[in-house]
Amino acid sequence: MMTGSVSPLPPEQPLLQATAISKHFGAVVALDDVSITLFPGEIAGLVGDNGAGKSTLIKILSGVQSADRGTISLDGTPVHFASPSDARSAGVETVYQDLALAGNMTIWANIFLGRERFMGPERLQLLDKRRMAREAREMLERLGLNVPPIESTVASLSGGQRQAIATARAAAWGTKVIILDEPTAALGVAETQVVEEVIAGLRDKGFGILMISHNLQQIDRLTDRIWVLRRGHMVDHCRRADTDLEEIVSVITGAAGAFSASQSA
Amino acid sequence: MSTPAAGRATGRGLPPRRSRFDALDALRRYGIAVVFLALVTTMLIASPQFRTQGNFLNLLQQNAIIGILACGMTFAIILGGFGLSVGANAALCSVVAAKVMIEVDIGLGVAVALLAGVVVGLVNGLLIAYVGVNPFVSTLGTMTVIRGLVYVYTNATPLFGVDFSFTRVGLGRSLGVPNPFWIFLGVALVLGSLLSLTRFGHHIYAIGGNTVAARQMGIDIRRMRLVVYMLIGVCAAASGIILVGQPATGQPATGQPAGALGYELTAIAAVIIGGATLAASGDGHHPRRGRCDR
Repeated sequence: MMTGSVSPLPPEQPLLQATAISKHFGAVVALDDVSITLFPGEIAGLVGDNGAGKSTLIKILSGVQSADRGTISLDGTPVHFASPSDARSAGVETVYQDLALAGNMTIWANIFLGRERFMGPERLQLLDKRRMAREAREMLERLGLNVPPIESTVASLSGGQRQAIATARAAAWGTKVIILDEPTAALGVAETQVVEEVIAGLRDKGFGILMISHNLQQIDRLTDRIWVLRRGHMVDHCRRADTDLEEIVSVITGAAGAFSASQSA
Repeated sequence: MSTPAAGRATGRGLPPRRSRFDALDALRRYGIAVVFLALVTTMLIASPQFRTQGNFLNLLQQNAIIGILACGMTFAIILGGFGLSVGANAALCSVVAAKVMIEVDIGLGVAVALLAGVVVGLVNGLLIAYVGVNPFVSTLGTMTVIRGLVYVYTNATPLFGVDFSFTRVGLGRSLGVPNPFWIFLGVALVLGSLLSLTRFGHHIYAIGGNTVAARQMGIDIRRMRLVVYMLIGVCAAASGIILVGQPATGQPATGQPAGALGYELTAIAAVIIGGATLAASGDGHHPRRGRCDR
């Protein structure tokens, strides 16, 4: 009952493919023989109960942790991420729940953190602040985000604005895959909607987006494909169009073994 | 798709957060300058002694050492660290400088003292960044150890016998302004530029603002911490060298084992009053840990 046969994966080249990933923490099996595939221009939702292994899986995909076994390939080429920097330079950007923003710094300084632009003699590493501010403003405009002045500190922003900045930063630097961990967990309704629009906009730009969310309505609204983890196993996946909320819940909890769309094969 | 979130982002902005704290914020940021000016003005009016040229020159001369220590301390505190050992380090460097100046040569004394300051910074940095000792605890420890060593080595008596000419560094004037103040000005300009104009400085703000974020963005936090504590060591050494040239009245230049006692707390106070914060770091919600606006 691994991957379904009636809801087949598209024939095109997958963007990101993780195969037979296993990860143990001591005696605890966090992930056992888990595979997942992500295509360009799609939003994949990764769901599962607490402790199902969602966080571990995205940590492995983003280079924060390494798998005990299994392979990851990007655009068909096997890759090995020893660190988050490896993943980022390969084009995989991750927005963690803590957003990784420094509140005491400006919006543009956060967007360019670790990727600063310099002016003058290279050795001095003098920051080209004007250029970074201008480029950051352009990045946000391209994403259709109308945020406060680029010189505002991140601490002065609302939760939604921070999430939007963190997502925009990932989109600005990422070339292929964006992984989002609970992108709207801390947000109100209006802010959630704006962030969802940003995410949908990124899909339209051709990014492959992998999103963890506990909000199943959101998964239903936003995703193209749903992957379900249960106790470290990838139970099943399904096109969103072929299922509904109730069924997703029963697959997550184990009340149903798999999606009916894949069982009917 | 007809879901609410479908389609492109529309360019509709997020509601701006209320900015009703702006006045309070301005008060926090510039209030201290107003208080300072008010204090100076009051003293100018109230005290004839205060408004003498001699008094102002004296203030500049005496506070230069604190100022230099505070420049280094600013780095530590923005980074989310602490530097309790700077006073002891300055005393150590003063004694080391004086000893080498007496035995060998003034220039070598300055060089060895700078080296000693950096080594103390290196020890602090290794303990904090690589062993993982809390900065407060480790610099408190090095402070106690260094003070002890200096007192034992010197028997708690000043080292007399440095060439008299070296008092020029601590007591002399150039263009009518005390030399220690020029040194302080140089240190402040260099370190201030480092902090606000370079990547190094930006990364210090980032680590202080959100250590986890800084690590995720690829900043080598341990190396940065090590370098910052070594930089603080250089500032302490500079202070110690000035101390040699600032003996008690009528005495020749002196190594001062009891010098700079308690200066670390004055320097920390100066940094905090100057606008950095001691609030815990980590979640990125502390706008005032050395706010990096520009």
